[in-house]
Amino acid sequence: MIPRHAQITIALLLVGACVLGFYVLNEKRKAEEQLRRVADTRPVTAPVAGTPQKVVLVIAYDEEGVLRRREATVVLPEDRALRAREVLRALLNEYVKKPSPHPLAEGSDIKDVYLFQSNLAVIDTTAAFADAHRSGIYVESLTIASMIDTLTANVPGITRVKILVEGKERETLAGHADLMPFYEVATVHELVKEMQ
Amino acid sequence: MRTDRHRRLAGLLLVLAFLGLVGPVSRSLEERRVSIYAPQASYRVAVVERDHKEYVGLLDVLEPLGAASASNAGAEWTIRGSGGEARFTEGKTNGKVRGNKVELAAPLLVENGRPLVPLRSLATLLSRFLDTRVDVHDSSRRVFIGNVGARFTTELKKGEPPALVLNFSMPVSPSISTEGGKLKMVFTRDPVVSATENFSFDDKTISALRYDESSGAAELTVSGSAPLLASFSNGGRTISVSVAPAQAALAQAAPPGAPGVTATPAPGAAAAPPGQGKTGPAEFPRSRYLVIVDASHGGEERGADLGKGIAEKDVTLAFARRIRAELQNRGITTVMVRDADTALALQQRAEMANAAHAAIFLTIHAGTMGSGVRVYSSMLPPSAEASAVFLPWETAQARYVDSSHALADGITLQLGRRRVPAESLEAPVRPLNNIAAVAIAIEVNAPAANPRAFHSPNFQLTVASAVAEAVLAARTRLEAAR
Repeated sequence: MIPRHAQITIALLLVGACVLGFYVLNEKRKAEEQLRRVADTRPVTAPVAGTPQKVVLVIAYDEEGVLRRREATVVLPEDRALRAREVLRALLNEYVKKPSPHPLAEGSDIKDVYLFQSNLAVIDTTAAFADAHRSGIYVESLTIASMIDTLTANVPGITRVKILVEGKERETLAGHADLMPFYEVATVHELVKEMQ
Repeated sequence: MRTDRHRRLAGLLLVLAFLGLVGPVSRSLEERRVSIYAPQASYRVAVVERDHKEYVGLLDVLEPLGAASASNAGAEWTIRGSGGEARFTEGKTNGKVRGNKVELAAPLLVENGRPLVPLRSLATLLSRFLDTRVDVHDSSRRVFIGNVGARFTTELKKGEPPALVLNFSMPVSPSISTEGGKLKMVFTRDPVVSATENFSFDDKTISALRYDESSGAAELTVSGSAPLLASFSNGGRTISVSVAPAQAALAQAAPPGAPGVTATPAPGAAAAPPGQGKTGPAEFPRSRYLVIVDASHGGEERGADLGKGIAEKDVTLAFARRIRAELQNRGITTVMVRDADTALALQQRAEMANAAHAAIFLTIHAGTMGSGVRVYSSMLPPSAEASAVFLPWETAQARYVDSSHALADGITLQLGRRRVPAESLEAPVRPLNNIAAVAIAIEVNAPAANPRAFHSPNFQLTVASAVAEAVLAARTRLEAAR
């Protein structure tokens, strides 16, 4: 017959072991989910129909630490928000392919662009875009400046831009560049000028 | 009888479980440190006990002094630094420093890829590695490299009331506390030394001064018959101790503190403790010109990979320490957000700066894009709104953004004068927007192929002195504004 206090002690230890086991399993599941997201390169949206048009991409070149404008031909739909998304996807494609002037991880993509009151653009990016981004003030600033300037060069009328990751706010892109503010396009243009 | 035995066994199990939880906490509370004073930096390194012997991390000691790296081939370890090269074998006591044989007091240990050496051998190792004189005060765990040392003279100025004037050979920044008629100054970061322990004065009000060393610090205790007050002048080189006016003593309140902040009290401004009762050391010095230096990243958050295994968090800490030393040498009160490998959220860093009512917040970063230095300020548009009790968190910087741009330009100018490539930019660096003070980010850069450039003492000193000069130059304007 095991005394009552010994039973309680053993029960407490068993509960502790169960809680710890549950916690470890949960952490493992989260880590696996994270890995799966980063590695998932499947398209998240259907191809859009439209006409091939010339667009301006503001591309970051890491070796020189500069931004340069380059023309490209992209299939653009009529809808303004879809045009914004396709232009940004064309830009990120330049960064994802190899060799790249400003490498981003595979799976870095634009999930959607939402336009509000015709002047506010909210860019929703994939988790891989931020999770695997290289860390550093300048390299992160190049990405943000390049995206915002490319967007406004091809979709006129946008004056403010907000960047989300998987539909949620994130504090920084990769530890440095602030993703919390609504970026004023005019201020970003000044930064782009400094980076050209 | 049997029940009693079971009850005792159960109680023992619970006690052991409790100790398992509490043990690490109590051990960390007993953490010991050695203070190291060198011409380029003063810093503290944790002392750990292994096999009943005290050890310190060799890289922790060498990194703040300049370049230092460790590499190994099996158990053979090579430590390289600006001073030279040392070779040791893990688990062995014999080794070589600059080609000369040395014998450690205990075997070399390696933990987390970092070699640990016995504390008792530190003086010998440093002396040979740096090829300079090293003095160790064993009982107080204080290490003096080179001819560093802050000596002082005393002068009792008789009058009504009398004042004890202490003149130091360099600016100092002690923590100050009072208890009754005693005023105690604790010098943790200043290499204060004295050949005399007791000073007596022929005065009833201020009768004695005692010098002690313990736990990695020097202490000066002034004894008097009334509550005493200390004030600083001459850029932190002079401390005057006098009787606290009764009303002033009552009016003084203990300054607010904040966890996690390493504070260096004011050398440039008055530091007046309360007249009665014991007070702790000033966590946040009451200075109109307080500079907060933030070594970005830390702990598990390593920041950018700068190449060859060098993490941004280590480089930022080395530069932050240099900048603090240069600022203090100019008599500017400086606080480090972190002075060890600890993790802090960006929000915590901003909260600390705001709680301290800092005049300037400098956050230090490192990168591999190009070479030289980039100085960043906020992209927020300036706001001319009057001072308010509450500021929006995301735009707290708006009222200070013009001054931040000016300081960024000032630092760029100073770097240019020292032939360091530099540019100032307005960029989206977190948490600049959340700081209610002049705030800039300084990013030092070296190509990924040559990350050792980050450890160059010359590069570190040049950048730190340029930053300190610009901060000093901005002082008059910012103090007037505050």
